[in-house]
Amino acid sequence: MPAIRERSAPRTPQHRTASGPPGDSPRRRSPRPARGYWPYVLIAPAIGGMLYLLAYPLLRAVLISLQDFRLRQLIAGDAQFVGLRNYRTLLSDPRFWEVVARTFAFMAVNVVLIMTISTLVALMTERLAKAGRTVVLCALVLAWAMPVVAATTVFQWLFHSEFGVVNWLLTSLGFDSFDRYPWFADGGAAFAILVVLIVWQSVPFAAITLYSALTTVPSELYESARMDGASGPRIFRSVTFPMLRPIFVLVFSLEVIWTFKAFVQIWVMTRGGPGDATTILPVYAVQTALSSQRYDLGSAASMLTVVLMSGVLVLYFRQMFRQEDDPR
Amino acid sequence: MKYRLLAGSSTLVMAATLSACGGSADEGGDGHTTVDVWLMRDSVSAAFQKEFVKGFEAKHPEIEVKVQIQEWDGIGEKITAALASNDAPDVIEVGNTQVAQFAASGGLLDLTDSKTELKGEHWLRGLAEPGAYEGKQYGIPYYAANRVVIYRTDLFEKAGVDAAAIKTRDQWVEATTKLNKGKTQGIYLPGQMWYALGGFIWDEGGDFAAKSGGKWKGALDTPEALRGMEFYARLQALGKGPKDADEDDPPQAQVMAKGQVAQVISTPGGANAVIENNPGLKDKLGFFPIPGKSADTPGAVFTGGSDLVIPAAAGDSEEALTLIKELTGDTWQKKLAVAMSYVPNRTTLASAVADDPGASAMAVGAANGHATPNTPGWAAVEAENPIKDYMTAALVGGDAAKEAAKASAAITRAMNANS
Repeated sequence: MPAIRERSAPRTPQHRTASGPPGDSPRRRSPRPARGYWPYVLIAPAIGGMLYLLAYPLLRAVLISLQDFRLRQLIAGDAQFVGLRNYRTLLSDPRFWEVVARTFAFMAVNVVLIMTISTLVALMTERLAKAGRTVVLCALVLAWAMPVVAATTVFQWLFHSEFGVVNWLLTSLGFDSFDRYPWFADGGAAFAILVVLIVWQSVPFAAITLYSALTTVPSELYESARMDGASGPRIFRSVTFPMLRPIFVLVFSLEVIWTFKAFVQIWVMTRGGPGDATTILPVYAVQTALSSQRYDLGSAASMLTVVLMSGVLVLYFRQMFRQEDDPR
Repeated sequence: MKYRLLAGSSTLVMAATLSACGGSADEGGDGHTTVDVWLMRDSVSAAFQKEFVKGFEAKHPEIEVKVQIQEWDGIGEKITAALASNDAPDVIEVGNTQVAQFAASGGLLDLTDSKTELKGEHWLRGLAEPGAYEGKQYGIPYYAANRVVIYRTDLFEKAGVDAAAIKTRDQWVEATTKLNKGKTQGIYLPGQMWYALGGFIWDEGGDFAAKSGGKWKGALDTPEALRGMEFYARLQALGKGPKDADEDDPPQAQVMAKGQVAQVISTPGGANAVIENNPGLKDKLGFFPIPGKSADTPGAVFTGGSDLVIPAAAGDSEEALTLIKELTGDTWQKKLAVAMSYVPNRTTLASAVADDPGASAMAVGAANGHATPNTPGWAAVEAENPIKDYMTAALVGGDAAKEAAKASAAITRAMNANS
């Protein structure tokens, strides 16, 4: 990014704070850390819980994805290993690839919208007077605090064909074609409603995080940029964004993960329908496992989901670090 | 992800059965055994349930019955989780379209030995066949029902329509059009009542799926099935049924209870639910069989019903069998049939409901009863239900043939996913 090369000033304070005050290190090194079993005992429940709830199911899923595992095996428990057969079945299924493509499209649309809207909200909040800022932050926190299933149900009601407020509003505005219009019967409409819902649910977290990061940017930097005659967008590109890059990376990664595994909303609202219009990978995995009783294929699909999602994040991190390491 | 779901539901199941075990934990003290029974929503009325539990416990004082009412929505997954757990309920009611996959799964107790005692030779075929797998009987027929038209006698009278004269589809549409005036809905037919669509398709000689060369294939795109959908659309337009919902959302009995609906398609037991919601309609509900294409054949109907099964993992299978024997025996079958307007599980008991107007309308239709494809693969179709999506798409003006082809492909895929 050439903008950084021109103004390397914003980066320096950050490096300095990262290394900490120099007088700190000798003092910290002097007392030997207390050796003993207590720390391990205290941390054991947390580690144990994590291993049982995360590592064990993950391992079981890996195992099942390598087995012939259906309803009979689930009940009787005598599954045979079949090597990579399930993965071969999946990867040669055109429907699976459609789902993968849809998952990426879904993620991309959501993440772009979330990042854009939350950045704008954060920038606006910073410029507001105290009263306005409080109102916006309260609204964000309230939207954030809404339980996922409750929010999804409310959205379902909003778009209900018969009693939904959206249809009522559109009809009373004169759009008569929306009289009892079944939103969830149309693949595109159902997809769009889900995007709106997920963006609405994700923006608060991203906006609040970005806003709190914005408040840490020293105002002198903005002042000097303005004196140099920089426009608003230019200040954002050359001052704000470089300063907040780590936070942007963090929020972006979290949102990628969040939208990639957006399952509850879809399952509650459309169950992946109509047709396959809202079937993304996690929905596909659950459908395959629970509706068709193919637990083996479902596990394999989950494994591939993890691989694909990691792939996205690795690519993104590489890109980010490459920019960071750019010689100035 | 699915793990969390499975684990979640199995924890729920475990919690349910554990608390039940809490009840049976004191069995050492007073010699009680608790039998956990899962019955489906609306399969028995609250009054019948109470009467049965009381009667059963009086006759078998050593057994305590604990009934849990389950919702139809997502029941397949719940039963799967229960069968895979170590502590399943002792008796489960399973719909006759779903029992085949569980019979084939190895998770149910083989009840072939009790067949004679339970008078298996007289069982209704539509219930007994899906409950059997490779010559062994796992599901015990419980009750059957098929759909009829429930109508408002007062609204028919006001519109000058004689329900007894409705014998053909054309007469039915004509009468319904006449009724569909002002605030009154001629018929409340939600867009996704796929059992009703099945009847119309069978009338035309089509089916949901057909087997050819050992492989099941979706058949919604055949000309016969498309004609069935055409009639469904014609009928559906004569009321305000939502095009994107089934009869449970909102429950159609509640819609009818509000008083503006002249007809619904339902099992006769649905009338009880209407009256429960609006006692004012008590003497204003009548029944007639779903009309066929010509006056001499009633409309084809889906023979629905349930089987009772005992999970292999059940703790008290002996007591469970005792309960099944009672519930499927003469006394309680007759009472159940009368209370709920069901067809009893054995042909020899049919006379029990001869006086019931709903049941006699049902019996006319039952003569032309059909079943969903009897294969373990069908349950997957119901779980995903591409038929419902298809119906909505066709009703809101989509290209029916194109949508039907899409749905048929989805049915084919779902039915063969497990082979």
